[in-house]
Amino acid sequence: MGNSVSRALGKLFGSREMKILMLGLDNAGKTTILYKLKLNKIRTSAPTVGFNVETVSYKNVKFNMWDVGGQERLRPLWRHYFPATTALIFVIDSHDKERLREAKEELYAIISEKEMENVILLVWANKQDLKGALKPQEVSDYLQLGLNLKNQLWCVVGSNALTGQGLVEGLSWISNNTPKK
Amino acid sequence: MSHGIYLTDGPIRRPQPVGNPLLRKIQRSCRLSLPEPDLALNLDVADYINEKQGPAPRDAVIAIVKLINSRDTHTALFALALLDVLVKNCGYPLHLQISRKEFLNELVKRFPEHPPMRYSKVQRLVLTAIEEWYQTICKHSSYKEDMGYIRDMHRLLKYKGYIFPKINDSDMAVLRPVDQLKTPSEIQKEQEVAQSAKLEELIRRGRPEDLREANKLMKVMAGFKEDNAREAKQTILTELNKLKRKADLLNEMLSSSENPDLRNETISELHGALKGAQPKFQGIIEEEHEDDELVQDLLKFNDTVNQLLEKIDLLKVGDSGAASQIRPSNIASPPPTTGGALATEINLIDFDDEPAENGNSSNQPTTASGPQSDPVTDLLGDLNDLSSSSGQSTQNFGLGGSIQLGSSQPAPPVTSNATSHSNSNLDFLGNISSQSTSSGHLPKQSDSGLDLFGDFQVPSGKVLVHQSNHIKIQGSFVRYSDQTIRCQFFFSNVSVSMIQGFTHLVAVPKNLKLRLLPQTGSTLGGFVNEGVTQEAYIDGISAAAEDAIKMKWKVTYNVDGKSAEETAVFTLPKM
Repeated sequence: MGNSVSRALGKLFGSREMKILMLGLDNAGKTTILYKLKLNKIRTSAPTVGFNVETVSYKNVKFNMWDVGGQERLRPLWRHYFPATTALIFVIDSHDKERLREAKEELYAIISEKEMENVILLVWANKQDLKGALKPQEVSDYLQLGLNLKNQLWCVVGSNALTGQGLVEGLSWISNNTPKK
Repeated sequence: MSHGIYLTDGPIRRPQPVGNPLLRKIQRSCRLSLPEPDLALNLDVADYINEKQGPAPRDAVIAIVKLINSRDTHTALFALALLDVLVKNCGYPLHLQISRKEFLNELVKRFPEHPPMRYSKVQRLVLTAIEEWYQTICKHSSYKEDMGYIRDMHRLLKYKGYIFPKINDSDMAVLRPVDQLKTPSEIQKEQEVAQSAKLEELIRRGRPEDLREANKLMKVMAGFKEDNAREAKQTILTELNKLKRKADLLNEMLSSSENPDLRNETISELHGALKGAQPKFQGIIEEEHEDDELVQDLLKFNDTVNQLLEKIDLLKVGDSGAASQIRPSNIASPPPTTGGALATEINLIDFDDEPAENGNSSNQPTTASGPQSDPVTDLLGDLNDLSSSSGQSTQNFGLGGSIQLGSSQPAPPVTSNATSHSNSNLDFLGNISSQSTSSGHLPKQSDSGLDLFGDFQVPSGKVLVHQSNHIKIQGSFVRYSDQTIRCQFFFSNVSVSMIQGFTHLVAVPKNLKLRLLPQTGSTLGGFVNEGVTQEAYIDGISAAAEDAIKMKWKVTYNVDGKSAEETAVFTLPKM
């Protein structure tokens, strides 16, 4: 009962809650981003085996951010996290050019799933601080999202998890592009 | 205005209900126009859920419980029938959903605080369902710890004074776990489905403790595939042992009397279990082909099962005589124990008796004198299950030691009348031999054509292994490859009497490996020269080895109505 009251109040004041799924190849920086957003700290983390989930509040929106490990053997399990996802954040290591193709393949495998039909897609071209990293525009060109995505809204944002650059922009893009129920 | 009746350009069809196909299917199987629950439609829903997985079990259960609570009894009864079908056909993912607290609360939403004087039909069916789940999946499911809320709801209803109807056994039998042999991939598939369902449910619930468990489960699913594989193998071995015990029991029941009653429930059940499991053997062997021990074990077991099935078939047509000839050996006892226990029963190879044995064999080239090398003595341990049965009954020899004894009977496992055994393609060779070669031995019998084989492939001379009043054994030994020696044995009858049930067994020291091929027959007519032959390969002999190789052999046969047995150690000639 109390829950529904607070939800009603939340509606009144325009606060929302949404499930955000953060995926990407291993070593792309998902967990670092998550804790940068949550704690504003850099936590060096071991490769995630399993997942992390944290709630990040930004403006009036509560983002339930799910960060699922990106190692190859964890990828088949990603689909279990798809239900009820509002937005997908795909994190790409812009410096790891060899695996860009692999990342692209994984991304398309995810968004072609039926359950992900209606999500909006944010791509974080991460590790912009590294020398020789691809620019967000280059990543965007490589992914060819405009060519291939018919239904989903998408956006590529450059990010640097260490300084937090691009992270808030990404979240506000998500909150601006999701329907305010 | 536009809602009048008029024809449009499009084909005439009922308005398509919106919503996802699952809900549509559920509505269809519960619609009012059906006279009674339609099993086909219900199974269609079950198939759909099994195929889709993911959120399907949950969505289905939520939709169904809504229908169960509808004011219309007809719909509620149909929904309960559908739920029953789903519980019985969709396995763990659905069981997980019906054991959710929210679902169970919803299911008994229309139950009054105090039990009514008379239950409505819907209430009675709901109580039946809960009792059924309580009696079956809560007790037998491999994941019964996940079904706690069903138990709680059962207890709560009981506490409130509700009385559960009695469930008949046949209904419960469906939900009992089936003892079934499955291939490793099938077991893993099942595990995967169950784990996926669990993971999704945990993520959906999202409480901290659920998430912790989800993380753990994810590690299991992702990282420890090997763990699952090992578990799968363990399951196979357990099931296999159960089956073996069943086979032995069936064997016992069939052999206990002359005319066992085939309509006996236990017999037909055991028969069914074995028959059902047999097709799986091949699957398991294909998937586990690198595990030699398991494969050998399975092949051996398969032979036994074949014999049992054959026996039943024979009994069915009333041929109890032939059936009694089939005496499969017991196989349930695990390999490590058979070695010792059985071998002591069978004094197959008894080194101490040897001098006496040698006495009646006149010119035996054994050099068995001097200290016996210990490995040979150890042979006894490995020759398990050498029950020297008299007739033509087939035997399955123990496998699994370093010494492997192939069946020394003619190739087909079931030989009820070995006399009629004329191996057609060997006869064919026999004919050729009499035409093309005039080798020393005149073919008296068609099967002596096997000489051609011998003469043709073994240029080196034959060595006399043994000669007694009845039989003569000759052998030829050539180095086949760097590590392998090829042995060929020729058995002749030197007496006038017919020799039947002839079996030849060989053993070599433990550090070597013997592959004994089936002998070509088990019957030797009077004065038949080399009527039976047998090939064997001994692996693991390096050409440089100094020591002479010793092998132990034993023959058993029936002659003049008596059974005879001869055995000795033979030292292979230097090559």
